[in-house]
Amino acid sequence: MPSSSSSPLPPTSAGPARRAARTLLVLAVTAGLAAAVPAAGSAASAPTTPQPSATTGVAAKPYMGWSSWSMQSSKYPGLNPDGDYSYLTEANVLKQTDALAAKLKDYGYTYVNIDAGWWRKNDWTPEYDQYGRQAADPLRFPHGMKAVADHIHAKGLKAGIYLPVGLEKEAYGGGSVPIWNAPGCTTADIVYPDLRTTNGWDSSYKLDFDNPCAQKYIDSQAQLLAGWGYDFLKLDGVGPGSFKSGDNYDNVPDVAAWQRAIAATGRPMHLELSWSLDIGHAADWKQYSNGWRIDTDVECYCNTLVTWENSVNDRWNDAPAWSDKAGPGGWNDLDSLDVGNGQMDGLSNAERQSYMTLWAINKSPLFTGDDLTSLDSYGLSLLTNQEVIGVDQSDSPVARPVTSVGDQQVWGTRNSDGSYTVALFNLSGAPASVTADWADFGFTGNAAVRDLWNKQNLGSYRNGITEALPAHGSRLFTVKPRTALATTGYEAESAANTLSGNASVAGCDACSGGQKVGNLYLGGKLTFNGVQAPKDGIYTVQISYVSGDPRSATVSSNGGNGTGVNFPSTGDWNTVHAISVQLALKAGPNTITVDSGNWYAPDIDKIAVPQTL
Amino acid sequence: MDIQHTDPTEHPTSRRRFLALAAAAGTTAALGGLNAFTASAAPLRPTQSPMLSAADAAKNQLWWQAPGSSTSMIGQGLPVGNGRLGALASNDPGTEFLTVTDAGLWTGGLNDTLQDDGQFPYGRDDFGSLTLLAELTVAVPGHDLGRANNYRRVLDLAQGLVSASYDIGGVTYQRQIFASRPDDAIVLHFSQQGGGTYTGTVSLAGTHGESTAAGDAARCVSFGGTLGNGLKYGAAVTAYSGSGKVAVDGTTLSFTGCKDLTVVLSGGTDYAPDAAAGFRNPSVDPRALAISKVLAAAGHSYDTLLHTHVADFRPVFGQLDINLGTSSAAQRGLDTWERVQARYRDNVPDPELEAAYLQFGRYLMISGSRGTLPMGLQSVWLDGNDPDWMGDYHTDINIQMNYWMADRAGLSDCFDSFADYCLAQLPSWTDVTQRLFNSLTNRYRNSSGKIAGWTVAISTNPYGGGGWWWHPAGNAWLCHNLFDHYEYTQDRAYLEKVYPLIKGAVEFWEARLITTTVTDASGASREVLIADSDWSPEQGPLDAKGITYAQEQVWNLFGHFHTATEVLGRDAAYRATIDGLRDRLYLPVVSPTTGWLEEWMSPDNLGETTHRHLSPLFGLFPGDRIRPDDSTPKDILDGATALLTARGMNSFGWANAWRALCWARLKDGDKAYQLIGTNLQPSVNGSNGSAMNLFDIYQTEPGRGIFQIDANFGTPSAIVEMLVYSRPGHVELLPALPAAWAASGSVSGVGVRGGFTADFTWKNGKVVQATLTSVRGGTTTLVAGAATRKVSLKPGESVTLRNLA
Repeated sequence: MPSSSSSPLPPTSAGPARRAARTLLVLAVTAGLAAAVPAAGSAASAPTTPQPSATTGVAAKPYMGWSSWSMQSSKYPGLNPDGDYSYLTEANVLKQTDALAAKLKDYGYTYVNIDAGWWRKNDWTPEYDQYGRQAADPLRFPHGMKAVADHIHAKGLKAGIYLPVGLEKEAYGGGSVPIWNAPGCTTADIVYPDLRTTNGWDSSYKLDFDNPCAQKYIDSQAQLLAGWGYDFLKLDGVGPGSFKSGDNYDNVPDVAAWQRAIAATGRPMHLELSWSLDIGHAADWKQYSNGWRIDTDVECYCNTLVTWENSVNDRWNDAPAWSDKAGPGGWNDLDSLDVGNGQMDGLSNAERQSYMTLWAINKSPLFTGDDLTSLDSYGLSLLTNQEVIGVDQSDSPVARPVTSVGDQQVWGTRNSDGSYTVALFNLSGAPASVTADWADFGFTGNAAVRDLWNKQNLGSYRNGITEALPAHGSRLFTVKPRTALATTGYEAESAANTLSGNASVAGCDACSGGQKVGNLYLGGKLTFNGVQAPKDGIYTVQISYVSGDPRSATVSSNGGNGTGVNFPSTGDWNTVHAISVQLALKAGPNTITVDSGNWYAPDIDKIAVPQTL
Repeated sequence: MDIQHTDPTEHPTSRRRFLALAAAAGTTAALGGLNAFTASAAPLRPTQSPMLSAADAAKNQLWWQAPGSSTSMIGQGLPVGNGRLGALASNDPGTEFLTVTDAGLWTGGLNDTLQDDGQFPYGRDDFGSLTLLAELTVAVPGHDLGRANNYRRVLDLAQGLVSASYDIGGVTYQRQIFASRPDDAIVLHFSQQGGGTYTGTVSLAGTHGESTAAGDAARCVSFGGTLGNGLKYGAAVTAYSGSGKVAVDGTTLSFTGCKDLTVVLSGGTDYAPDAAAGFRNPSVDPRALAISKVLAAAGHSYDTLLHTHVADFRPVFGQLDINLGTSSAAQRGLDTWERVQARYRDNVPDPELEAAYLQFGRYLMISGSRGTLPMGLQSVWLDGNDPDWMGDYHTDINIQMNYWMADRAGLSDCFDSFADYCLAQLPSWTDVTQRLFNSLTNRYRNSSGKIAGWTVAISTNPYGGGGWWWHPAGNAWLCHNLFDHYEYTQDRAYLEKVYPLIKGAVEFWEARLITTTVTDASGASREVLIADSDWSPEQGPLDAKGITYAQEQVWNLFGHFHTATEVLGRDAAYRATIDGLRDRLYLPVVSPTTGWLEEWMSPDNLGETTHRHLSPLFGLFPGDRIRPDDSTPKDILDGATALLTARGMNSFGWANAWRALCWARLKDGDKAYQLIGTNLQPSVNGSNGSAMNLFDIYQTEPGRGIFQIDANFGTPSAIVEMLVYSRPGHVELLPALPAAWAASGSVSGVGVRGGFTADFTWKNGKVVQATLTSVRGGTTTLVAGAATRKVSLKPGESVTLRNLA
């Protein structure tokens, strides 16, 4: 019997690159070629055995800091007076370093990350050393990159830097550029003879790691950065991801090479991957790196740093798939946290709070792209809320939505002390009330609620909490339950149920009972029969499901119209998660139906129905 | 039979008691009557609190757990109104935002230059549009919603109050908003418990490019202006507090550190319901009047203003009470919007919500229909200056539906706005009809060349003007409402007042009817009178003679004329003429092709099967020619039922309400109930159904929904019609009780044609006890289940009937 992982999938819209401005990186390329240096000797030492990051201490928790890209990418008046991306200069980096040290360091923000362009002139012409390695643009960084790192370190902070994946085309130098510390290796040896291109902009030649010279090139870059004293590298344009797929864009070997190269330097260095990494390779990213951007750039490339629609709010849809992928050593990176100055950010206060709430509960790195010299008081209060930072840095699992992911959402996770982190979101453009029912989390009765943003104990709430949220607003609570909710489970595969359309039972290792009901598409329907309720009322029914992509269904009881439920992805077709719906049930037996309607529903493992109301 | 007569003075829900209560409360405002924006005597103030206890008020409250958006006021603002002046309030803690409308703030004019096609222009400058008067913002910057906990807002239907409360930092903040008829102002009050204060600004903005400035007395800010049609208007706002500082600060009012704050807004226009005066009152300076009104009100404490308002509002609301059964504890735990959603999701009846929906309609009518102008497509609740279809008076179902509810649901006096409007328009309607209707370009002109009386266009404005197309039978339909009000009230003086409207419509039709020869099913041919070329609203052939819609309307009109002339003792000779015409009127037959009552004089279906309008079913509802009893030939009843069935169960707003009313007349309570439920389904992204604030939304295209208030009145009318059917001399209780309400229920204050009100309770689908009260004395036959009782009462007398099962 086919499992749903082989179910016909709806066509995915091959989204065109949102970041048109990113292509400027390619367009600006000119033939800036370093002088060819004769090859010297042959490659190469044996690959270094990589060490898991978790044991090196790197990325034990999501990193925190500042990145230059948001301001570089913005058309905000005055930020980039010398052309696009020209904000990136030594003076600006040092200014932000000082501000970070003064305002945010005490709260855990330690990384100062230099993004793209440090080796490019203001017209984006790249510069390389004689070994084809990126070289600091003397106008931007007159004292070189080491001096910047030294200043950052002197402030007690860590220094981050940036490279695109692959051999940049302009560094190829006709193939004759020697590789540093790799006698006999030239740029011709490290790429494919057909000069196939790679990365999100096709701005590099793909490296051929069958030739040991390629590793040596990565080693040479890593040694350079380590020698300058950098503690962090953002490797950009990495595929599968960065809006690319296919063999030419498979940069897993690059990332692995980078991990080996970093290890070989002896300097702990955080390796962060960008952008929109393919979740299908999550295990690779986790094996070889310390973080991965799950989504496209948060920046709007407009007159502010970001906008709500472009593209902060995408994360609510995209993050759930990754919830199980993060952990010590490697984290889901939701991109810059630009909440520090409402005017420059281009966001309302409510949006800024929601932005940081989502980042924190997803345990995303917290790096701001704001002008730290002009944080407004509200922005500073957000960035320095230690209770919210604590959620991000805690050892709790990444939060997930616990109800349908519509305009109003409830997310949460269980903390190690038995409390729950509960976030309410209103993604609509008008105020709305949002309710977290304690049953969504498996408890009931009275529970003490603390409001983390307002740093206030709200008291005890029975069975749930409802709050009015402004447009795009949020709340973040810690809830301490007292009473577990007893439920009765009903397996989807039970013979008592009614399957219609193409719905069918399939094996499922992760599912209770080892089976699920799948093929719920285009009218496929699963009806649980004989669902018992103790008395008439409205119940919180938890649905355990498997879905490698976001899907939807109409869930109803006793032939009602039901409710449209948007199920977030569980990350793959072998992972079970649950969300809850509210349904009226009568005393005695009831039916509960999951109907795919005219689209595709997830595979259903089971439902759980409270034994009390 | 157990009949217990009750002394009239003791009856608890009679109009008499209402009058007494209003008098005790000290209000001097006449019930109904004119409420133009004019100087008025200071209201007498109640000497004791008219406020309901919290528990009693809770019986008629809607509530929500989030404020509205200033950009979604139509679906999320909460309405208040004093019968003329209306507002939607957002109730956002940090920014209380009100869109304020005066029913008379209309652009446009007489619009008496026809287009080349002989029809009326229909633009915002020529025909005109209802527009906003002002936007009021009370900004409290420290009260960002993101900091507020336990937010709740309540629409108190019985007392006419909007309120909101929330907690910030251990302080509970509360606000109340109402529109006072006695003080002719909108009042906002901000208070707190726990040591909080308010600091912020009050801003008043016009919506037609006016500049707001400090008022004359430097205690308020105001603006005034003149529309392109010469209509003058103005508004003013003042604020006061018992603590802190309130000051005029440029063009706004600032308040600082106020433990409480009262804000008073008034405004209006120089509109006058007088065609001879060009619909203007030259003695009114609206801006000055607004200033004087807010300053006068501000001379009183908030409690005084509140009590004056509640003493005015509450007795009107209290004229009808309804209980359709008990909802579950789970349903009661949900806020109104959650409840609407849950009802749809679970398909579980929520009788308390359904009763509240009726009461919400009554709240709207009390708030929107106690002035000189009636309620149009949106009544006085707008969010901008370009309401769809101008927010006008549509005469081919919408305004009629608005007023079906008044007499049924204990708001007989709210009907006056409609009657007064028609009377005020009559000179213009007559003039325009007689000058222009027979224009050669008008496809609907009388082919006889004769012209008399008056009619209207599909749209009408308050300046005597019509818009869109001529609507020949519109006069008859307006007259149906006018006469229906008489049938309920038996108010001879009222009938005298509206008689010129009825007679003018009759004269129009006397001139318009033409003869044709038809062949009956038996093969016999006969000459009949039919309506000239017309359009069955709003579908099918544009020029059809003898459309059922017109035939039924005219048959009905002529019948009412007959009664009116007899009651008034007038025009006996003309009555005989019209009776003769009525006898010759063609009445629709059942199509042998479709089995439906024909909409056109054709066996073919010439329109949309599921079209929204039920025009050919006028005789079923609101007419009363087609009845599910022996008085109606079975084939006609079957044909009407078949047509109604074909029209379907899934339209929108008013179209569903009309269907529900028809099914109620056919005694199919469950079908009627299903349609009520369809109107109660939540409107999401503009889909058909009820918005968060229960305004009815009509989806014109995906993602775009339009507020049309008619369903908010038509659906309650259907609820009442399911409980009571009446015609003079006959009243039937529970004619169409659905299973969802059968277990138990009660209603009091329901209007009964023939001049009665009915109060009754039921259990297990059977009437347990019924009380009939006669306003003017009279006789009727009461039917409840298998029981039939003849009742004769003196004026003001009541009778209680038991053992009816």
